[in-house]
Order: sequence, then structure tokens, then C-alpha cells
Amino acid sequence: MKDIMQDIKFYDCRVIEGSSTSIVLDNGKIEEISRNFTRGAGIRALCGGSWGYTAVEGEIDLKKGVSAASKLAFSMNSNTPKEEVELAAVNSPVLGKLPEIKIDPRDVPIEDKVELLKSIEAHARVEGVHSTKVMYMESEFKIEYRSSEGVESAYELLNTGFAVSAVAAENGGYQAGRESRFGYGYEVFEKENVLELAKKAGSSAVELLKAKTPKGGTMPVLLDQELAGVFAHEAVGHASEADLVLEGDSILANRIGDLIASPLVTIIDDPTLHEFGYYPFDAEGVQSSRTEIIKEGVLNSFLHSRETAGKLGGTPGNCRAQGYSMPIVRMSNTFIDNGDAKFEEMLEEVRDGMYLIGSRGGQVNTGEGIFQFNAEKGYLIKNGELAGLVRDVSLSGKTLEILNHVALVGNDLKMTAGRCGKGGQLVPVSDGSPHLAISSALVGGA
Amino acid sequence: MYELAKKALDLAEKAGAEEAEVYYVSNHSTGVNFKKDALESAKDRLSEGIGVRAIVNGAVGFASTNSAEEVENTVRIAVAEARVRESDPDWVGLPSNGKYPEVSGIFDKRIEAMELEECIGYALELVEGTKEVPGTLPTSGGFTRAKSRQLILNTNGIEIEEESTGMSGFVDVITVNGETSTAYDFAVSRSLDIDFLALGKRASELALRSRGGIKIEPMRTDVVFHPFAFADLIEDAFAPSLDADNVQKGRSGLIGKLGEELTAPELSIYDDGLIDAGMETSASDDEGIPSQRTTVVEKGVLKTYLYDSYTAGKEGLKSTGNGSRASYTAPPGVGLRNFILDYPQTDVIAGTDSGVFVNTVIGAHTANSISGDFSVEARNAFTIKNGALDKPIKSLMISGNAFDLLKNITGAGFDVRKVGGIITPSIRVSDMSVIG
Repeated sequence: MKDIMQDIKFYDCRVIEGSSTSIVLDNGKIEEISRNFTRGAGIRALCGGSWGYTAVEGEIDLKKGVSAASKLAFSMNSNTPKEEVELAAVNSPVLGKLPEIKIDPRDVPIEDKVELLKSIEAHARVEGVHSTKVMYMESEFKIEYRSSEGVESAYELLNTGFAVSAVAAENGGYQAGRESRFGYGYEVFEKENVLELAKKAGSSAVELLKAKTPKGGTMPVLLDQELAGVFAHEAVGHASEADLVLEGDSILANRIGDLIASPLVTIIDDPTLHEFGYYPFDAEGVQSSRTEIIKEGVLNSFLHSRETAGKLGGTPGNCRAQGYSMPIVRMSNTFIDNGDAKFEEMLEEVRDGMYLIGSRGGQVNTGEGIFQFNAEKGYLIKNGELAGLVRDVSLSGKTLEILNHVALVGNDLKMTAGRCGKGGQLVPVSDGSPHLAISSALVGGA
Repeated sequence: MYELAKKALDLAEKAGAEEAEVYYVSNHSTGVNFKKDALESAKDRLSEGIGVRAIVNGAVGFASTNSAEEVENTVRIAVAEARVRESDPDWVGLPSNGKYPEVSGIFDKRIEAMELEECIGYALELVEGTKEVPGTLPTSGGFTRAKSRQLILNTNGIEIEEESTGMSGFVDVITVNGETSTAYDFAVSRSLDIDFLALGKRASELALRSRGGIKIEPMRTDVVFHPFAFADLIEDAFAPSLDADNVQKGRSGLIGKLGEELTAPELSIYDDGLIDAGMETSASDDEGIPSQRTTVVEKGVLKTYLYDSYTAGKEGLKSTGNGSRASYTAPPGVGLRNFILDYPQTDVIAGTDSGVFVNTVIGAHTANSISGDFSVEARNAFTIKNGALDKPIKSLMISGNAFDLLKNITGAGFDVRKVGGIITPSIRVSDMSVIG
């Protein structure tokens, strides 16, 4: 074993302890109250160009873990030796201000939480809604990081949030409306007008029943903040993840310094913002920092781990993991920065096209630079004015074309919390944008 | 922790639970991943945990943990939660009288005993496979093997323990010269029977073949869906409507459709927890109900929804053995077992004069799971001309509805694939809307 350790030039450990509470109110009835407590650790070891990784749950013996990860790394490196991995050098993180918590959700009795869910449910149940679901989630966790380089740090975070969905039905047709909000303390329920949001989810479902499914085709479009945020995250953010760039799976490879978008477009990833993707240091113990991915249309920087920064040059701090999984390059709070266009100007710019609102998710092929997102709903735009409500509409196309077709950027940036999946791992993120007017895009419909 | 399961059950009864259930699961997996053509990392993951359901006065509480030290506390929390809740008039009881069928093919000693060196070998075979096709490179991929053990105990006398193994391989490839195109392939199995070399080669051939895509005009045409594409649409746009919980809560497009002609008359669909070597095969479901074969659609007619014990109890029916948990951290809900689409098989592409062949789709998870409406981007799509694949298609969107899709099936291929638990051949659907 001693021999192996001589060849291990780096190892690190993350110990995570956390608990979560969820309450599910289904059609006004408590369907589930559950609590979960977990403890575990993820341990990495690097030998030459190979990583060994072990994850253990429950009772943790870090020494044993380090030795197991080291054996894996050593064995990989002797079986298939390759170019040494150089990790970008870093300092111990300095913890900045953590998100402030005014009302600790753990101090709120469960009965009060159930009452709150019941009133959210009642507000979502507008006329025409025949089924609802409300979920409350609260989680707290403590992360301790230490590495063979002597970096050691820890932080605790707590977050709270809710999601409501309402389904309306008519003549065999079904439509759903959804809203959700997340924050750090229980005050999120006061800050956000949650009852109003619940009503919005209900009304949206009912309105969509009457909406038409438009003809698809290529046309000018206006994207709302949420859908434009999804575009920033899915199409641009993922392609800027340096691991994908190194794999040859990004349309943005070798484009740093190039004008790849309309000069109106600036896209930022900022884990220091107290939004849902916040972290004080990443899963490699690297202090978080703001990255301008695209600056006034020019590709400025990729997002990095220590390994990718070591290979490509750049600043690490975007390496994250779900629980005890192996950390990979991830986004945090990703957004298109504010421009100065007003909503009316943008409608006028689009003139005849479609206003696409919200997102039911989407996917992207970063290697080919193509994407597809389904909007929650939309409006036809005729003569620069909003016309009829439409549904089952989607946006698809080539990432670089859309970036270049940005005609106007609004001044009403808004962030939306969510979870992003990559490599089978989900991490909390937020994304956002102001309204965007795009001169030409492919809209899918009936 | 395994040893603590029985103790946890006793503790729950002592704490005042009228009924209680302890679900224990452990999993040991080893994986080797590559980036481009170099092996990057080896991962070893040991996880185990316990989930406790406690019932007091017809109300259910649930708590879970992966820490042996916390088991006692977890049991107490589950009981306390049950006390907070009002009695649920629909609660009938935890499963009882488990008489379990024999199942086969879900445990392979060779996978259980597999060492890292062997895992490295299979990962290298995936890479080698892609190299047999010049002009492509893998971007990422990997091999994983896993062994798991599950134990379900409840106060109604259920005690069922099972062990299983599994392995999987996947690879993403990209073309290196000229126009960029990508493709992926993957396979899962309970035993050591995947040809990783062939898998890598298939992905590369597909990427290469997809280069130089043409634009096509929007039209309505026959679409042949590869098992990967069809399984995604079934899982996200159709299966949620079969979930009895969704039906009971008004969130299913299949409410009131039992006994009706739902699909093409030659299609039958089975949900089967018993087939040899299925990814969802086991003697019991995740709450101790014996697995069974359920005819969901028989020659086009919808025969039943899928139930766990709670949703079945609500209607005075028997569970169909579809109690399913994503992990020990969640109480059971309704989930698919091996979900088998059965349609008379032919050489389906050869029998198609003109149309479109779609390998995979992206965005299926954005489907409206109630109405069945979907709009997806097709990947690695080709035109079909005179019974053969003709030209690759650059970009293609397909919109439709899952229920219409099943009605308009006109053919199926010989190429049955296990896409996780969904088992299907290529399926041809007539009159689909495609936008190039």
C-alpha cells in the first residue's frame, strides 16, 4: 500500500451530512410526509492521468476510502497509462457571506406547513381545475472538504421551497399549469406571493384548454425570461463546460475570442449570487467566482474544473457533484445580462411571429450545437400586437444561429430556480434572462 | 444495516405503529469511464439504506436513512409523522401472504465476482469498437457492473429477500472530418452477454452515416421509430396515463377507456415482472407483492391500469405488482416493470415505400404526460425510399400524440431491444407530422 501512495499525487474527500423533509398534498389531501437523513463521502485519488473514486454511505472510514480510491487510480494507471493530469493551482477558499435566513424552516411546526400547503392548494383550484398537487421541500446539509494539498473548509446550507401544479380538463383534453419557488429561509413564502402564484398555475391550466395549436415554421420570435434563460443554460452554458469542450463535444471548441453572437448578448455564470445555484466553494474546494462566458457577443471563457483549467487555462470553480457522486464541470446561476429594450419595442420588432413563454424542459446536442425546447405556452404576434393564446409550441434550431439572430435584449432580467442533469447527476441551478427578440427561429407546432 | 432491518420492524411496533414495513437495499457498483479514447476514471460505489413506513390509525408516515446509528431515530420519525396525519379512508393495509414465483436470469455470479481489470477490459472494447470505423472518435462512455440486494419485511408477515446483478455499456461518438455528426448506443443486461465491441462499432457507423444531412419539407408521412426512440415516447407520453394513481386523481388520458379499442388491433402490451433476465424482473415488487404478467392491451383493447397495493386497495382490486421505488429514500409508487410491446414482426423498413426512420429523439420528457401530446427533435434520422434507408436528414421535428401513435401503428421490425425495462422492436407509425 505504501508503494501505491507514492504514486498518488493528489487526493481529496467530501463528507456530506444532510436531512430533508418533504410534504406532498395531492388534491387537497396529505399524500406523503417523509424525512430522510443521510451521511456519506466521496473520495478521489489521482495517479498519473487516471482518477479513482469511491463513494461510501453511512459510517465513514476516510482512511479506508482514500486507500480504496488510490488503489483504483493506481490500477487504472498501470493498465492504461496516459498523459499526466495537471490540476490548476488553487488557494484555500475564503468563505463570503452565506445566504441570510430570517425564518428557519426547522422552527416552523409541521402543522403550519401543512396549513400553508392547503391554502396554496385552495388558490390553485380556480374554476375549471380538477386536480392539484402541492409539494413542500426543505433540506439542510453540511459539506466538509479536505485535500492532500492541505485545503480544508466547510459550510452549511439550508433551502426551502414549494412547487404547485394544477390540471384542468375539458372534453377529453388536459392541460397543466405549474409554478415553483425556492429560497434559503421560510421567508420565501412571504417574499413571493405564493397564493397569487398558485392562482396563476390554476388559471394558466384553464386558459390553455382554450388555446389553439398553431402551425409551425420559421419565423421571428419573442422569448420570455424563463425560456430565454433555458436557452442560455441548455444551449450555451452546457457547450461552455470545458469537459465537453475537451471531449470534442462542444460547438464552442476553439472559438475563444471569436464573435459568436450578436454584440447585444452577454452571458454570465455566477455561483456567488444568492440564487438557487449558489455555493461558496465548489466540490474541489475552489472558491466560487463569476465567469463571463460571452461578453458582448465574443466567446470569453469556458467553465472549468481544476483538471480542465490545467489543460486549457482558465479559472476553476465550476466543479460540482450531486451527493457523493464524482464531481464534474457544472453551471451555477447562468443568465443573459440585461440590455435596454422595452417589451413594446420588442413586440414591434418581431411584428409577425410568436411570443413563447415558459419551459417544459428541453435538450441540446452540444457537439452539433442544436437544441429543442418546449414552451409552456405562447401568443401569436400580429402587427406588433399579442393575438391568440397557443399551446404545444416548441423552439428548436442551431445555437449559434439563434445567438446571432438576437435582435433586441430586454431590461427585465429574471431568474428561475431548477435542477440540471448531467452525467446522471442533478444539481440545483438557476437560469435567467431578460426578454429576447430573435429575428428568425424554427417553431414547432401541429 | 441489513441486520438492523428486523430490529427496526420491532421498534416500529413498540413505538405504536399498527402496521410497519422496512425496506432495505444495498448496491455495490463499479464503473470505468472514458473521455475521448482514454480511460479517465474508475468508480466504486457502496450504498445501502433503510426506508420505514409506519401506519397509525390508517395514516402513513415515512422516513429513511443510510446511517446505522440513525435507524432508531428514523423509525420514531416515521411513527410520529403518521400521528400528525389524518386517517386515510383509502388505506387498506400493507401487503400480506406473499407466495413468490421463481424467476430466472437476474443474477450472474461472473458479474458479482468481476474485478476492476475485467471492467477496464470491457470499457476498452467499447473504445476499440468505435475505432473499427475510421473517421469517428468516442467523446465519452463507460462500463458499469452492479450487484444489489433487497429485503422487504412487514408486520403482516412479508419477508422477501432477493439479489440481482446488472451491467451496462454506453458510448457517445462524433465524426472527426468534414461535417460534424454524433450518435450514441447503449445496452443493459443482467448477465455477461453484451458484445461491447459491436456496440461501439454500431455507434460509430451511425454517426458516420448521419453526415451530410439533407433538409426535408414539412409533411405527413410514415415514420419508423428505432426501439430507442419509441421507448422514450412510450415512457414519457403514454406510460404515465396507465398509472392507477394518475387515473384516480384525474391526471390520465386513459380515464374511462377500459375495454375500449385503444391501439392498432394487432398490438398487445404486457407488463411483466417475471420474464427471464428482464431488467425489471424479480420475484416481488418493491413492497412485497408477488410479481406477475399483466396484459395491459390485448389486441388493441385496453384491459387494465397498473396498480401498487395502495391504489389497488382504493378500488377494491388486487395490486398488479407495480409497487416501485427509485431508492430507499422514497415510499413506493406505481412504476412499470418489463413493459413489452408485441406486434407482428416483419422486415419493417423493407416494407416501407417512403417515409422517415428515426434512431433517437431528444425532448421526450417534455411531453404532456396526460394528453400524450409530444414534440421532439429526431436524431440520426434518415429518409426511407423503396424499402431502404436513403439519405440522412439534417434536422427534424416530430409532433404528435402518444395515443394516436399507438392507433396508427402499421408495422414492427425483428430488432427487439431492451431499452431499460421497455422491450420493443422498431415500430412504424403512419401519418406522422414531421417538420424538416
